[in-house]
Amino acid sequence: MVSAFSFQVTTKGVIMNFRPGLDFEEVKTSLEQHVQDARDFFTGVDIYLNLAGRDLTINEMSDLMEVVRKYENVNQIYFTAKENKKKRHDKNQDTILIRRTLRSGQRIKYHTNIVVIGDVNPGAEVIAGGDIIVLGKLRGVVHAGAGGREEAQVVALSLQPTQLRIASIISRPPDEGQGDNLAPERAYIKKSQIVVDKLRN
Amino acid sequence: MSGKTIVITSGKGGVGKTTSTANIGTALAMQEQRVCLIDADIGLRNLDVVMGLENRIVYDIVDVVEGNCRLEQALIRDKRYENLFLLPAAQTRDKSAVNPAQMRNVIDRLKEEMDYVIVDSPAGIEQGFKNAIAGADRAIIVTTPEVSAVRDADRIIGLLEAEGLHKPEVVVNRIRIEMVKKGDMMDIKDMIEILAIELLGVVPDDEGIVVSTNRGEPVALNENSQAGQAFRNIARRIMGEELPLMSLEKATFFSKLKKIVGLS
Repeated sequence: MVSAFSFQVTTKGVIMNFRPGLDFEEVKTSLEQHVQDARDFFTGVDIYLNLAGRDLTINEMSDLMEVVRKYENVNQIYFTAKENKKKRHDKNQDTILIRRTLRSGQRIKYHTNIVVIGDVNPGAEVIAGGDIIVLGKLRGVVHAGAGGREEAQVVALSLQPTQLRIASIISRPPDEGQGDNLAPERAYIKKSQIVVDKLRN
Repeated sequence: MSGKTIVITSGKGGVGKTTSTANIGTALAMQEQRVCLIDADIGLRNLDVVMGLENRIVYDIVDVVEGNCRLEQALIRDKRYENLFLLPAAQTRDKSAVNPAQMRNVIDRLKEEMDYVIVDSPAGIEQGFKNAIAGADRAIIVTTPEVSAVRDADRIIGLLEAEGLHKPEVVVNRIRIEMVKKGDMMDIKDMIEILAIELLGVVPDDEGIVVSTNRGEPVALNENSQAGQAFRNIARRIMGEELPLMSLEKATFFSKLKKIVGLS
């Protein structure tokens, strides 16, 4: 069985995070179980019950308080509503650096941003959870915001993709007349459509 | 409706399997047949490029086999003929991503909807080839008038027979009549004598093929191209028409040639 909550140890104490999507009864039952099994689990430390993303009624709140009060030798019990910042931070800010040209048949897939120093040739694929930046010619298939992030964008020194996807929107260049555009360009979603702009300094 | 599956193969690389697949498929679609082309060359896909459909690919045959999408989602409709479809290969995977049983399953499902399912085989005789011939009812072997290509074609015929695919037909690609006449190139008659199978068509060497391949427009669409005419004739023969084999084509070719010679 997957646990209903997880512990995160910080300098301040122990944070109990509840798994999202569970209803109150499940949270309560599992907490009661934990109290029963490990009454002195938190001896000498502060615990923070993280209620982020969870709306509790007064009664539910007092029910919870009843339960956690049974922990023995706890230093202090706090209720808090911290977003799990560390994880979100990872997802949106981390960047993978690719220092080579991606050739046909090569595929790079990360949930982060991806920066390619080199070209992305036709037949190569770059799939990122965040933005994609190509310091070179982008001629292959790219998918930015692959997890559904519509703010994601694609930037390339020369933007001539076989196909360009952002979040769930797919676009391809017109069949006729693709000139060599050497100006850096940026593709992003505007009103549910992928638009391409010249990149201004 | 239950269509026929035709595998296009050669053994040797570079003889024109993919070009033939694209053109025969297009020519059949021109005859108002419902046609689906399958690129079985996983990892080195080309058929989409030759058809000019590369930028439409979202899902491929590996996605279908692995259940990432439905078969209909992976099918790409041709930009010229709405009764012509392409099931593209994956580029970032290799031949082992699909096995013959899975291939047969995909083909069986496509046959329900199509008059013809045409499978573009990779070069070689390994897994990719075995995938490509799984589920085929007919085989077309493409060869060129070179000893090495004919040798490989002969080997392929043997392998096909071992797999229960009897009576394959051959397309001789890239023939240059003037060279044959001078005795510099293998004669069609000699080739058929070695291979001892039915001749489905002869396609003349044509610079236009390079142009049309690079543009993603099969040469069969070109009314003025002799190679295009050859592929259109092949399609009609596949459909069972009794077109005189080459005799007509040769006559026009020779007469044209004579004209040129006469003028110079």
